[in-house]
This record gives sequence, structure tokens and C-alpha cells, in this order.
Amino acid sequence: MQLFVTGGCVEEFVIKPLFTKGPSLGVRLLVLAVLSVALMVVDARFAFLKPFRSQLGVIVEPIYWLGNLPVTLWENTTQELSSRTELAAENEKLKTEQLLLQRRLQKLAALTEQNVRLRELLNSAALVDDDVLATELIGIDPNPFTHRILIDKGEKDGVVIGQPVLDARGLMGQVVEVMPYSARVLLLTDTNHSIPVQVNRNGLRAIASGTGNPERLELRHVADTADIKVGDLLVSSGLGQRFPSGYPVATVSEVIHDSGQPFAIVRAIPTASLNRSRYMLLVFTDTRTPEQRATESAEAEVAADQKALEEKAETAAGSNTPAPSQSTAPAPAQAPSTTAPAPVRPAQ
Amino acid sequence: MSATSPRNVWVIWVSMLFALLLSVSPLPDFMEMGRPLWLALFMTYWLLALPQRVGMLTAWCFGLLADVLNGALLGQNALILTLVTFLVLSLHQRLRMFPLSQQCIVLLMVFGLAQLVQLWLNALTGNRPPTLVFILPAVVSALLWPWVSMILRWLQQRFGVN
Repeated sequence: MQLFVTGGCVEEFVIKPLFTKGPSLGVRLLVLAVLSVALMVVDARFAFLKPFRSQLGVIVEPIYWLGNLPVTLWENTTQELSSRTELAAENEKLKTEQLLLQRRLQKLAALTEQNVRLRELLNSAALVDDDVLATELIGIDPNPFTHRILIDKGEKDGVVIGQPVLDARGLMGQVVEVMPYSARVLLLTDTNHSIPVQVNRNGLRAIASGTGNPERLELRHVADTADIKVGDLLVSSGLGQRFPSGYPVATVSEVIHDSGQPFAIVRAIPTASLNRSRYMLLVFTDTRTPEQRATESAEAEVAADQKALEEKAETAAGSNTPAPSQSTAPAPAQAPSTTAPAPVRPAQ
Repeated sequence: MSATSPRNVWVIWVSMLFALLLSVSPLPDFMEMGRPLWLALFMTYWLLALPQRVGMLTAWCFGLLADVLNGALLGQNALILTLVTFLVLSLHQRLRMFPLSQQCIVLLMVFGLAQLVQLWLNALTGNRPPTLVFILPAVVSALLWPWVSMILRWLQQRFGVN
């Protein structure tokens, strides 16, 4: 009864301002709708709204943090309350895992060394390891039809648009929006995302596109006769100049040869656990173009050869014994230093 | 006369911020499809209860905040929320007289329409849900309306918001 009376009372005061002051509802809708559409067009087509938008992004992190608070608290309490036996079991598991990883690491050391040697033989620049930055997931995009996540590193940490993101098992996606203290990452499985890949076994190139399903990628335009099998590992080929090459992307799970289709249907499962990983790595790749890299490595090579030559000349000037053999030496010395011992051996 | 002077208006803003929080809080995957339109629900209540305190501009501003939070195009959610506000305000006098069940049905229409516009805008930007599931949030929101309005009415009376 009381409620009804107050309701009626409010109504009395409401109707008057609604009709007496300010523009009508339709006009207000029109103005705001036009404003929204204009904002959308500007945001989609031009760049000058981006800084404003990234500054507004400051509010994003605290709100996502607050939204996550119940989950974080729950996880913390369950962690506090988890029994001793559980912890012991987990410890055991981690120890085994560590042992396995150690073994792989040993193998990797040998392989790296071999790789460096081979690269030296090939005259190419030294293998440079990419710089990485660890980051943590702070939120997931609420829209279920896009696969995007928020991470806790942003402009202040040097994150840039297009930067690749990895987890422990493989590539996850790339940064598409940078805010001061956070960034948005588009995952490989988003329907808008594609990544150039290579079959690790034979180097066959293809493009892996997202399907909107977090457990599936599809290879587009793979010829029916292409050598690709279930279980093949797909690694990033680095051809798009966005992702570094050689990181695992997915394993082929299905190859369907349908004579009614122009191309084979190839499906793959991402190796990264896209919907489970909490900690990720941001990769800082070399920003130089391949041409620049080639020129610079060539220059470095020339400088190294020059240095080797000078050293050799110095030693020759010091000992000054076999003059004729030294005069022929500079010609092959243009080749890498590893070939240098070859002409020396028959002389001895 | 005291009915016109603003009192405890902060409750409205806090509840709207809470709605913003709910709209990005993590949900299990199967519930993600039917995430209720919290902002629209809360906005509708305050529009029906206190139309002199909140209006289209409020809705537009909160829509912009939602855009920033969701990483959508700036103005997308703002447009949707403004549209909901327009529909609710133009149905305002009838909606207030309806019993809760009838309000639910009308709001289902309003939210369904808003979701349809949302679908069009999403299709323009490239990510489009493949099926009719885009209507699910509207259904869930309409079903939640009685509870949301009850809780917010209790809040309004508890703090004497005016």
C-alpha cells in the first residue's frame, strides 16, 4: 500500500519534467545513436581515437581484478586447506616432471651446440635467442564468440601490438590492443585469426585459421596430394613476419580427403592449452627486416674475415718462414675460418 | 515535496558499477553463452523507479565504459544501451502498471531487439555467432528480471533512494 502511494507520488513528479523540459525522447535517441555510430566508425577506421582509448583502459585492470576476486579468494582458500597428502603427491609429480624436462634439456644443449656449429658452417649469423617477458592472465573476454584474453603487462612494460604470446607448450596468439598496464591478446582459435605454419617433418607450408572452437584449427587450401599426416607437428614458419619461426603451433588431428572438395580438409589441435594456461610469455622478436638482418650478418662476417686476415698477416710477419704459402693463403681465407685449416694440412 | 530532492543517489551509481563488474566476471563456458545483460537489467530498474535521476545520457556513458571493458568498438554497447533506454522510457507508463510476469514478456522483446542490433553490429566487425544463441542472453535476462527488480527495490527502500 505504502509502495503504491510513493510510486504514484513519484509518477506525478516524473511526468512533468519528462514532457516539459529538454528535447523529446526520439531526438535524444537520434543524437546519441548518431554519436555512437560516429564513434564506432572512427574507432574502426582511424587511429586518432586509439590513445584516448588506451588511456581509458587504465580502469580495465582493477575491474577485472575485482571481478576475479571471488575466484582468486576461493582458489587461495582451497590451496590453504588442501591436505598434506595432496601436496606431497603434487610434489612427487613435479619432481618427475622436472626430471623429464632435465633430460630433454640435456639433449637440447647438445642440439643447440650442433645447431650453432652448422650455422657457422653455413656462414649465417649467430643464433639469437628471443627475449621473453613472463605475464599472467587477468581476464577473459566476456563475449563467448571471440577468443581474447587480458594479460597483466602493457605499454609500460614495452608490449606492442602484434607481439606473439606463448605458453609452455606452444604459441597462443598475438597482442591486438595495448593499454597502459594491460593488453588484450587474440588467440589462435579466434575466427578472425590465421597463422602461417610449416609441417615440422617436411617443411610443407600452410595457413592455420581459427575456427571459434578452442580445441581446433583448420589448415586452409592444402592440396589433396600434399604430404600431411595425422600426428604431424605444425610449427610457425615466420613467413608472416609477425610470429617468430620454429615455435610449435598445433598437431594434425584429422586429414579428410573428400573427392567432392577442391582441397583436403585438415584439422589440428593447438599444442598450447589455450583455455587453461595462466602464465604466458611475451616474445620480443628482432624488429629488423630479413634484408637488414642479412646485410648486417654479412657485414659482421666481412669484419671477422678481415680480422682473421690481419691476425694471420701478423703471425706471418712474426715468424716469416714460408713466404710463398702465406701469399696464397689470403684467397681461401675469404671463406669461413673453419676451412682455413684445410690448405694448411698438405703443407705440413 | 521532498520527493524531488535527490537522496542517496550514490546507491544507483554503485549498483550500476556492480552491474558492470558482473558483466565481465568469469563464468563457466556453458553459462558464457547466456550471460545476462546485467547493465540493461539494472538500468531498466532505475529507469522505471527513478526516471528523473537516470536517463539516456547515463545509459550512454555506462555503455561506453562497457565498450572499453569488453574491447568492443567504442560506441557499440553505448548504442545498444541507449536503445534499451529509449524503449523502456517510451513504454515507461505502461510497464509500471504491468504485473511482474507481463513486464518479463515486454522486457524479453526489448532485450531481444537489443540483441538483434548487437548481432548486426557484431556481423559488421566480423565475429558473428553462427546460430540463434544470440537471443539466449535476452531470455535469461527476462527470466532474471523479477529477482533483480526485487533486490533493487529492497535496496532502494533500505537506503531511501530518491
